[in-house]
Amino acid sequence: MANALAKRFGEVVAVDDVSFTVGASEVLGLLGPNGAGKTTVVRMLTTLSSIDSGSASIAGHDVADDPDAVRRVIGLAGQSAAVDEKLSARENLELFARLYKLAKPIRRRRIADLIERFDMGEFADRPASTYSGGQRRRLDIVAALVAEPLALFLDEPTTGLDPRSRAEVWDAVRSLANEGTSILLTTQYLDEADQLADQILVIDKGRTVATGTPESLKRDVGRDVLEVSLLTDDDLQSARRLLASEEGVSIDPEDCRIDFSITGGTRQSLDVLRRLEDQAVNISDFQLRRPTLDDVFLALTGSSADEPEEISR
Amino acid sequence: MTTIQPTHRRGATRLTDAGRDIATMLWRDTIRTARQPEMLVFAVVMGVFFLVLFNYVFGGAIGAGAEVDYLQFLVPGVFVITALQGAQQSSMGLATDLAEGVTDRFRSLPMSQVAVIAGRTLADAFRNLVGLALVALLALVMGYRFDSATGAVAAILLATAVGFGFSWLGAAIAAKVRQPDMVGMLSMFWLFPLMLASTAFAPADSMPGWLQPFATYQPISVASDAVRGLCDGALDTGDLVLAVGWTVGLLAVFAPLSIRIYTETD
Repeated sequence: MANALAKRFGEVVAVDDVSFTVGASEVLGLLGPNGAGKTTVVRMLTTLSSIDSGSASIAGHDVADDPDAVRRVIGLAGQSAAVDEKLSARENLELFARLYKLAKPIRRRRIADLIERFDMGEFADRPASTYSGGQRRRLDIVAALVAEPLALFLDEPTTGLDPRSRAEVWDAVRSLANEGTSILLTTQYLDEADQLADQILVIDKGRTVATGTPESLKRDVGRDVLEVSLLTDDDLQSARRLLASEEGVSIDPEDCRIDFSITGGTRQSLDVLRRLEDQAVNISDFQLRRPTLDDVFLALTGSSADEPEEISR
Repeated sequence: MTTIQPTHRRGATRLTDAGRDIATMLWRDTIRTARQPEMLVFAVVMGVFFLVLFNYVFGGAIGAGAEVDYLQFLVPGVFVITALQGAQQSSMGLATDLAEGVTDRFRSLPMSQVAVIAGRTLADAFRNLVGLALVALLALVMGYRFDSATGAVAAILLATAVGFGFSWLGAAIAAKVRQPDMVGMLSMFWLFPLMLASTAFAPADSMPGWLQPFATYQPISVASDAVRGLCDGALDTGDLVLAVGWTVGLLAVFAPLSIRIYTETD
């Protein structure tokens, strides 16, 4: 789909050598902090920005050579797109459906279906300026669906949404992917990429820093952590003495807990637990925690995911 | 999932599609105009200001000693000025539109990009037509008399057409600047000289000699003269040709230019 994409704004290299392929029914999560170049990638692929070097094609159409053909098969929603605030949801959908040159009977049916399927009946005839954040975002995404796109671009579709609206967007993304749509989703939320994406591309400062499935990224970068909670402070001290020689041990006296960074899988975890048990250390609870994408993100980009909001353009 | 894609599009199809897109955008912009009646009110109020203020404040001074009734002279000029104000509003409105995120969506759609601007300028031309009709009603109440109904309609249509031409000049500025307040300030540079150094409010021969050539042939003057001719039933064909010529010239230069500026990708 995209091959060695690059984009410069004057001296600033916004995107440098980013490549990926998204198949039918696949969701690619483009993950990165603010200013990483996520939106620029989306704008290049959706014909809003020119491609400085590299190439991209969507459903067999080259983005640079045949932008009109590309525009017929894509849908765009999120921070790169919006809806007409003065028009109602129904009027907005009518507007975009007409611009896609859908015939009137198809238009009618499709709009009615979308309004019902995405539960917009309640507010479909009020101007969009009166909508809540969640309602507006729903309309924004539905507007990208009027022409049943083969490839859907969702640019930070849940930024600024409350948890319920976010869950609704997630459901919609899942069901669209199930129906065969290729989806490129940009996000700065790791759990969102984890929940939705089949493939993740982590970019930072315009460059690809990692790529893979959520599971492989977590396996490669993060480690499992065995958290052992102990009954008393005495237990904690004896456990500490016992495991002093081990690497990757951290102690949390407040929660009376020891965390082991595990590299040897289940066997090593059992081994640690057995040694504690043999010394009659009282264990109140334990769990094996898989690394979160948050850990991965931190390891890869050296920055936390929760940086202040910024309008990237 | 399969879709049927036309592999080859002929020029005629493109042209029909562009026509449909313009009609669609006109539909959208008409709804928007209808939901912002204050825009129409503002356009009419400007016309009313010019009519009432110039007639009662300056009318006495300008008309003093002359054999002419100043209101008869003023009303056609006010038509043209109202249409010009409408064009300036159109420019600011377009800048507001272009600053909205929905413009990016339009640019990602398989549509004729001309339609984004043309829909707006056409919708504004219709709004202008309604505004001018209301100003004409007020003029009648104030005692103004048209030579004929046909002349009145032709005069209002001509003023609207001139305003439409200027709305494309405004569109080019709006496409470039995309900040409504900045567009508002920039429009003063073309609006005021054209408006005041014209024959809309006073005849050219009352102005100093160095100003007369400009004040005689600039678009607002020839438009005022032609509209006045239509209103009075004493049309000078030369004025009409010049007014139409200016309008066509504005369209020929600024329509392609504004579309080129608008479709430039970053």
